[in-house]
Amino acid sequence: MAAGALCWALRAARQVLPSPCPRQVRSYYVDWRMLRDVKRRKVAFEHADERLRINAIRKNSILPRELQEAADKDIAALPRDSCPVRIRNRCVLTSRSRGVKRRWRLSRIVFRHFADHAQMSGVQRAMW
Amino acid sequence: SVLSTDPEKPASKDSAPEGAAKRQEDGAETPKQRLLDIIGNMKVEVSYRKKLQQLKASENQKQAINKLEGLDSEGSVPQGITEDTQRGKPLNPELVKAASAVASSLPRDKKQTESELLAQLRRHEETTDKQKKGGTINICNVISEMTVKRQSLAQRGARISGRISLHLDEDGQRIRPERSSAQSIDSRSLKVGKRLNIFTKASTEPEHALKTVSSPTIWDLEFAKEVAAVTAQPPRNGFEEMIQWTKEGILWEFPIDNEVGMEDDAEFHEHIFLEKHLEDFPKEGPIRHFMELVICGLSKNPYLSVKQKVEHIEWFQKYFEEKKELLQEI
Repeated sequence: MAAGALCWALRAARQVLPSPCPRQVRSYYVDWRMLRDVKRRKVAFEHADERLRINAIRKNSILPRELQEAADKDIAALPRDSCPVRIRNRCVLTSRSRGVKRRWRLSRIVFRHFADHAQMSGVQRAMW
Repeated sequence: SVLSTDPEKPASKDSAPEGAAKRQEDGAETPKQRLLDIIGNMKVEVSYRKKLQQLKASENQKQAINKLEGLDSEGSVPQGITEDTQRGKPLNPELVKAASAVASSLPRDKKQTESELLAQLRRHEETTDKQKKGGTINICNVISEMTVKRQSLAQRGARISGRISLHLDEDGQRIRPERSSAQSIDSRSLKVGKRLNIFTKASTEPEHALKTVSSPTIWDLEFAKEVAAVTAQPPRNGFEEMIQWTKEGILWEFPIDNEVGMEDDAEFHEHIFLEKHLEDFPKEGPIRHFMELVICGLSKNPYLSVKQKVEHIEWFQKYFEEKKELLQEI
């Protein structure tokens, strides 16, 4: 019990200690859709290995078909949010689902805003 | 106490010859410095000893007179002596009495000057004892190993020009000074010669380390948090900001190390030859065929660690064991 209390205290200290400097800390996600997307990403990360292995059993011609059907049932039993297809690359700042550039994880409007204010490194207005 | 010490003054003036008069003539400019110099030279000047003996005689008389009154300045003399005996290095009583006489002769705070003079005397005694034992650093020993390096004008010119030269010229300019430094190191090895005993060996205390680790109380953590909050000032410039980011993990460390966080200590053969993990599988059949393909794929994968690969294989093993009944039906 003492060890548990100590661990808790150490964890709390580690969380508090590294961030004493006043900076903008994002404590809320932009909207609920973004939150759901975050949850899906976490669950997908947890089940990624299992899905990979079960798919390896399903998608081959060597193993008997019965085994593959059993694997089908297994993968369907996993939580729905564990599949990576459900993840949508949303804009990080505005949670816009469309018009998001993958390299910057920003929507086109935010990207344009920052680029015009010269806050995007190496981005310049095109002219040719 | 001021009134009682007045009769002492004329008495000390009469008894102490030129020395005391000199001191008073100097006045308040640097009386303490003069006194310290005099005390420092006391052991060298033999003739001064007679004066000290006279002082001692006068002090004894004063003690006999003022014993009943129990004055502070006089009382400090026996106190000083007892302190010295307690310390284990009794100062020369003559010097002590001389110090007290000097202190009493000054118009300033007598107790303070007396204690300071006694401290000076103690320090002198300590240094002389050390030197007698040979514990202090003898400059002779330190310098004996060193030789004066004669820099030729040509070398000096080469060094200066080497600093100013462009990057292209580095190889040509720096070979010469390198040679000379290498030669000087070869002629004298590092471990030859007498020990100088300048540095003391740092004693390792693993027990104390264990103690501190096992009991970090919540108060200690709170204190650490407070200290961190106070000392962590906002960054003054971009460099400090980047340092902070690197500490937090937001910024990578430069030059970029591609293998940060990847501590794969396994050899190549552990990555490639994974057949030893296949011992629990049946030797023939589609499962074996499948697992051999799995192993082939894993051996070609450079992104996984050996642990992860072994985990994959073990999961397959567990899965096939669970499905054994199904397989046996086939």
